[in-house]
Amino acid sequence: MQALLDALVTGLAQGAMIALVALGYSMVYGVLKLINFAHSEVFMMGAFAGFYLLNALGGADHPVLAAVCGTLGAMALAAALGVLVERIAYRPLRERSRGRASGNVRVTPLVTALGVSVLLKNVAQLAFTARYKSYPQLFGHTRLLIFVVTLVTMGLLQLLVHRTWTGKAMRALSANVEAARLMGVRTGRIIAFTFAVGSGLAALGSVLYCLDQSQAYPTMGEVIGTRAFVAAVLGGIGSIPGAVLGGGLIGILGELAKLTQYSGGQDVLVFFVLIVVLLVKPAGLLGKTGSEKV
Amino acid sequence: MTPGPRVSPAARRLLLAAGVFGPAVLLEVGLDRFVADSSVRQLVMTAAINVMIAASLNVINGMAGQFSIGHAGFVGLGAYAAAIVASHLHLALGGGDPTFAHSLVVVPAAVAAGAAVASLAGVLVGLPSLRLKGDYLAIVTLGFAEMFRLVLTSVPLDAKSGVAGAIAKLGGQIGYSGASGQGVPLYAGPLWVFGAASLIVVATWRIKFSGWGRALRALREDEIAASAVGVDPTRYKVTSFVIAAFGAGVAGALSAIMRDGIGIVQPDQFDFRLSFDAITMVILGGSGSITGAVVGALFVTFTVKLIELAQGLDAVRLFQSEHAWLDLNALRMVLYASVLIALMIRRPEGLFGEREPLFARKPRGAAPAGAA
Amino acid sequence: MRTAHPTRPEPQVADGAPLLALRDVQVAYGGIHALKGVSLEVGKGEIVAMIGANGAGKTTTLKSIARLLPLAAGSITFAGQDLGRLDTESVVTAGISLVPEGRAIFPNLTVRENLEIGAYGHRDRRAMGETIDDVVQLFPRLGERMKQEGGTLSGGEQQMLAIGRALMARPSLLLLDEPSLGIAPRLVQDIFAAVGRIAESGTTILLVEQNTRLALAASSRAYVLRTGEIAKHGPSAELARDPEIRAAYLGG
Repeated sequence: MQALLDALVTGLAQGAMIALVALGYSMVYGVLKLINFAHSEVFMMGAFAGFYLLNALGGADHPVLAAVCGTLGAMALAAALGVLVERIAYRPLRERSRGRASGNVRVTPLVTALGVSVLLKNVAQLAFTARYKSYPQLFGHTRLLIFVVTLVTMGLLQLLVHRTWTGKAMRALSANVEAARLMGVRTGRIIAFTFAVGSGLAALGSVLYCLDQSQAYPTMGEVIGTRAFVAAVLGGIGSIPGAVLGGGLIGILGELAKLTQYSGGQDVLVFFVLIVVLLVKPAGLLGKTGSEKV
Repeated sequence: MTPGPRVSPAARRLLLAAGVFGPAVLLEVGLDRFVADSSVRQLVMTAAINVMIAASLNVINGMAGQFSIGHAGFVGLGAYAAAIVASHLHLALGGGDPTFAHSLVVVPAAVAAGAAVASLAGVLVGLPSLRLKGDYLAIVTLGFAEMFRLVLTSVPLDAKSGVAGAIAKLGGQIGYSGASGQGVPLYAGPLWVFGAASLIVVATWRIKFSGWGRALRALREDEIAASAVGVDPTRYKVTSFVIAAFGAGVAGALSAIMRDGIGIVQPDQFDFRLSFDAITMVILGGSGSITGAVVGALFVTFTVKLIELAQGLDAVRLFQSEHAWLDLNALRMVLYASVLIALMIRRPEGLFGEREPLFARKPRGAAPAGAA
Repeated sequence: MRTAHPTRPEPQVADGAPLLALRDVQVAYGGIHALKGVSLEVGKGEIVAMIGANGAGKTTTLKSIARLLPLAAGSITFAGQDLGRLDTESVVTAGISLVPEGRAIFPNLTVRENLEIGAYGHRDRRAMGETIDDVVQLFPRLGERMKQEGGTLSGGEQQMLAIGRALMARPSLLLLDEPSLGIAPRLVQDIFAAVGRIAESGTTILLVEQNTRLALAASSRAYVLRTGEIAKHGPSAELARDPEIRAAYLGG
């Protein structure tokens, strides 16, 4: 029983962190209808940025300063990376395909996204080597911290999306790019902003994750990124509450799987959930079954 | 009408068959004799297997305009199925050294098993995801391939009963080396490997220039318009997906039992890297172009080999001992990814686009301008 | 209907000079030469209609004015400003709003939010509040549905919302693309009555409409497009009597 409760608490903390990453997938998919495969690698890069910043800021000697400034710094760097990826890899494709439809228009951005993901992962491999980097231990109650930070962030994000001009523009853009431009919305800027926010949240998630799990390594994006992605689809890609719900479910599910003898099967389960969701309710738990144009 | 020398269709087919499969027969007899170095033979056969992987992926990613990023999963399923069937048949036939006579039984059975399992998985994966719009196929194929790998690696090896026990027999992370643990019997000689590669290339060629290929192209360009003229999108997409899975299964099967192979199948041979390599092969040459897929496959095979060779050089070893960060494989992936991104931005149609540069043949049935 | 823009001064045009002028505009996309040299003028305060069959290039003309399509040749000037060098977003800020064909409201936003985003170009709270009041006066049905999501409205209501949304920017020139398409006849009357009132308040209107009878009745002048070219133009009342037009578009 105690084990079950522990699993639930750990699962919720994990889920909160996963939700932060899932939001990035969801937001970018919302505005571009593109699965940003590179997002998981931005998450990983955020972990490394946090690692170096936290240590440079004194690490365990000044835990609060290191945590606050280090995390914000990592978020800023990740946001910059996200915007850079959008600028270099995705924007040229959008400008090229504008106003014309040709055969593989749809496949091209996916290939590019995949390419950016592989590129970042292997650059990290070269730059940081495959060895695990141990995070400084700053706090005792990391779980609680993860929880609070995630909830506050979600609240702020909800405000951003529903109460600000930028948020309204993001939602308009996700429904109809051309119509949004006709309202005077600078879609390019909104898209860049979306990448920045999503990437910043991923870095927040990764620093929290590493504070809890204590390690950063180049392939961490694959593992956590995939879980986050599944969380986004499960909750309904494009929906913020959906990402939170999906993250929570995936986190708890993963911890419960660890209680069984197939502890390594956590990710098998995650994918299984994904496929079942797509079969039964492809729009996700909180997503809307909109009539998407072909 | 196609201009050219007048040869009866039957004779032309015969000539074509001889041209395509003759080399395979010659290689079966001659490869061992003329190429003494087994690593070179292995390289050449691996190239043929990669051609199969690329040509089959090209059906779904190139011709059908869908995007699968889990091709490695189908290759892996084919490999495991073939390895199991081949090693059991091998024992049933009395063991010993693989003989050519026995290969006539073992290889077809193993390849059929691999292809069947992969095709079945193709139906299971394709049916739900191809019905949906958007990029679901990409997600699901990725999920499927990872699941396949994770199921194999994460099963506790001491499991004795049930499904877990059966999977545990496949050796987990360490890999499967035959029913006896002595290695997977390597039956498939050049005849089989090159024969199958030729068959798959010819088959995808026929698909491309048939009414089927035209329907796929129409679907890719405009799904609504195509379904308005009676092309059922789901049927075409699922079928082409299954064809792609079938080809991947054949490729995987032959890679597991290929002569001069390594005699063991491991989950990590079929990780995301293989899927990405396969995508690179298809995109580099030009999605939709079979010539492109072949050229892409050869290119990737040989760059991988080059890196392997480079890692063996003393100078490189010395350099690496001083610069631990220099992971040549990571460097290769960085290069591939950069090339791919640049290509997508500058020339998304790849090297050849959809053309078949060495075989300037117009798609059959293309209405001449002004015919209406 | 209050029309003064909170920041942008009313566009000034010399006497007799048009507010909007297209000179030999050509547009090509997807291998189709959609506009083969369209020249037209719209004076300040006018309602001008463009009529013609499907595929004649009416929507293309509007889209090229809104800079949603690249120009192959020709020029578009608005109050003396060359639009050719602007992007869509800047055209909106310059004072031109397009109500696109098929309405293109944001189904995931509430009716109020749809209207609010229309004011994105100036983001002036006061002007926004005033225009929302004006729009509700113009289309009382929208007032009852402020909190509903746009996607839940009927076709006619969506058209009203799309027009209202465009008005939120306080445009000097309103481009209307097929406002009657697929809408119940009773609501079409309401919508055209509203268009008349918008014009009375001083907003210039360029109207594309397949329903030729409606279009000619609502406008003072009209252009007839045929396969990417202007086939005819003149006062709407004259065109309505033109035997050729009657035969081709008014069913005799």
